[in-house]
Amino acid sequence: MQADRSAERIGDGRGSDPSAAILICDGLRRAFGAIQAVDGIGFTISPGETYGLLGPNGAGKTTTISMIAGLLRPDDGEITVVGRRMTPNSTRAKAEVGLVPQDLAIYPDLSARENLVFFARLYGLDAARRRERCDEVLRVIGLAERADDRADTFSGGMKRRLNIGIGLLHEPRLLILDEPTVGVDPQSRNAILESVEHLATEGMAVLYTTHYMEEAERLCDRIAIVDEGRIVAEGTRPELVATIGSLDVVRLEVAGDTVRAKAALEAHDEVTSVDTDGTAIVCLLPGAARALPQLLAAVAATEATVTAVEVRVPDLEDVFLHHTGKALRD
Amino acid sequence: MVRLAAITRVELVRLLRDRSNLFFVLVLPLLLVVLIGAQFGGSFDARIGVVGPDGDAAVDAVVADLDARDGIATVAYTDRELLLDEVERNLLSAGLVLPDDVSDTLAASEPVEVAFIAQPDAGSQSLRSVVEAALAEHAAIAGAVAAAASESQVPPEELGATAADLREGLPRVEVATVAVGGDELAQEFAGLGQFDLGASTQLVLFTFLTALTGSAALIQTRKLGVATRMASTPTSIASILGGQAAGRIAVALFQAGYIVVTTLLLFQVNWGAPTATAAVVLLFSIAAGAAGMLIGSIANNDAQAGGLGVGLGIGLAALGGSMVPIEFYPEGMRVIAAVTPHYWANQAMAEIIRRDGTIVDVLPQLGMLALFCVVLLALASWRLYRALIR
Repeated sequence: MQADRSAERIGDGRGSDPSAAILICDGLRRAFGAIQAVDGIGFTISPGETYGLLGPNGAGKTTTISMIAGLLRPDDGEITVVGRRMTPNSTRAKAEVGLVPQDLAIYPDLSARENLVFFARLYGLDAARRRERCDEVLRVIGLAERADDRADTFSGGMKRRLNIGIGLLHEPRLLILDEPTVGVDPQSRNAILESVEHLATEGMAVLYTTHYMEEAERLCDRIAIVDEGRIVAEGTRPELVATIGSLDVVRLEVAGDTVRAKAALEAHDEVTSVDTDGTAIVCLLPGAARALPQLLAAVAATEATVTAVEVRVPDLEDVFLHHTGKALRD
Repeated sequence: MVRLAAITRVELVRLLRDRSNLFFVLVLPLLLVVLIGAQFGGSFDARIGVVGPDGDAAVDAVVADLDARDGIATVAYTDRELLLDEVERNLLSAGLVLPDDVSDTLAASEPVEVAFIAQPDAGSQSLRSVVEAALAEHAAIAGAVAAAASESQVPPEELGATAADLREGLPRVEVATVAVGGDELAQEFAGLGQFDLGASTQLVLFTFLTALTGSAALIQTRKLGVATRMASTPTSIASILGGQAAGRIAVALFQAGYIVVTTLLLFQVNWGAPTATAAVVLLFSIAAGAAGMLIGSIANNDAQAGGLGVGLGIGLAALGGSMVPIEFYPEGMRVIAAVTPHYWANQAMAEIIRRDGTIVDVLPQLGMLALFCVVLLALASWRLYRALIR
């Protein structure tokens, strides 16, 4: 079984017209010593489009957005934001970008308003605009009542919202959100996702990185599946699922030696991908209903026992498994 | 400039908002200035305890004479043992015990035996000379009055009053003590106010220490990702580096300015020529701020920065003459001490405060401090740039 390592581009979504694009990335490469963190990534994002980079931790998502935000020099390739080349020194290109980093990049010992005012100054807003935008952002992120409280008195979700609010201060044309819901309670998470949906309707281009499949499916117009520094597939959700072709997902709950059972399934001719999820083994194969007895027999031959079987249509996680040979959570 | 000022301002606000800093920045420096002033200060009056008969004219005259002298204050005691105990415990500079019949004995022109109680040190010997002079003068007057009374019909009280009047009109010999020969240290520190030495050396110590320990704030800014986020805004890298440097320097200048102003107001410390002192404080604060920025850019966490900051802050201060004056160091140690900015700042302050130096007199020290500023700022900026942009 061999994963398809070549990038697969499907359809010609809204980002394919470079003249209208807010962001154009072309052939980005970046290595850290012997590790090739980003290896030829390229994509475009149009106004009002939410573009997702979906991949496991260490896939190269954060390195990619660091280059797009002008924090990291690419070894090769080019980034253009609203027609301006992005480099660490290009302040005009940076003025078009709002970055919401994965870490809570706020001063805990300053109030919400003080944090916003500080970054509004760095974004170059004059005094009147600063006041107006800080009030507006505080309202949008739901912190107007707590504006003058120190950030270290906030809950995790409130801190996350403040972290996002800073990126919105100067009304950027491109908003970069790097895993903005990590460590957030479900209620705050939902509020954040609703905010992102709303921003896109206002014409803002959004680059959203996540390793949560559901978030990518809910928010993103187009999704790039990233693994080991490359985009292995790109398109809308239906387009990506279609790349699997007529494959089905078979999930077997196994009692016994899952390692031997997995090896037995990998040896099966029709199985294209196999991965484990705790005591379950997940396989991709065409015509699952027809092949199921053979799969059960293969597992039984290893003296493991199948305790439950599920056959379903694929989702993005299965797409990822198909293209990379491993699960998104790995 | 707006962006640079915003970064500088926020660093200063965060320093002052951290309550744990308030003791170390505002209280501790003044406490140490007071402690050092109490140990080394020279302007305390020498307190001489006096035991003698209550209301005795001779005792009153000697006490009035001693009190009238600069730098001496007498304190009346009734218990000889208590006087002895307090001299032993250094609560008194010396003690003087006059016998109960001192006036009668003097009037009879007979020898009077008094006890002078003191520790066996040079200061006590100086006091003894002063006390002996006062006693000798009053013994001479008493003897003269007694002799005149025996030769005339004038009552002794009237003769005594006349002698006192005459004494007031006579020119007095004032003795100024000048240390010569091997006592160069005494000359070096002669004329300093009680808190002058402590204030200048503690300014150097705390300005550097506060700038180094304040580097923890820069670590937080880096570790929280705020510094990186700053780099993602349309703020030039030069402004970010400049803002961080200015923030650290502002913290150092705040510390130095606070010590200068409070010691001037509270203890009337002599800070010498204002321009010369300002130049030294400014350059030393820049060097301290740059050193803080360097620590903040190389340390991995708050604890590491705190440890490095306190260790280096105290170590360099000790080496550079902020704990023990550099004049007490052997020659070899003075050469080693010259590798610290503290040494040059302390030398400059000594020139300004002890020898009334002007800005021209401290140009060599200012030059060395400027060199420290350039080297430390360049190193710190390079390290922080590497941390921000890879």
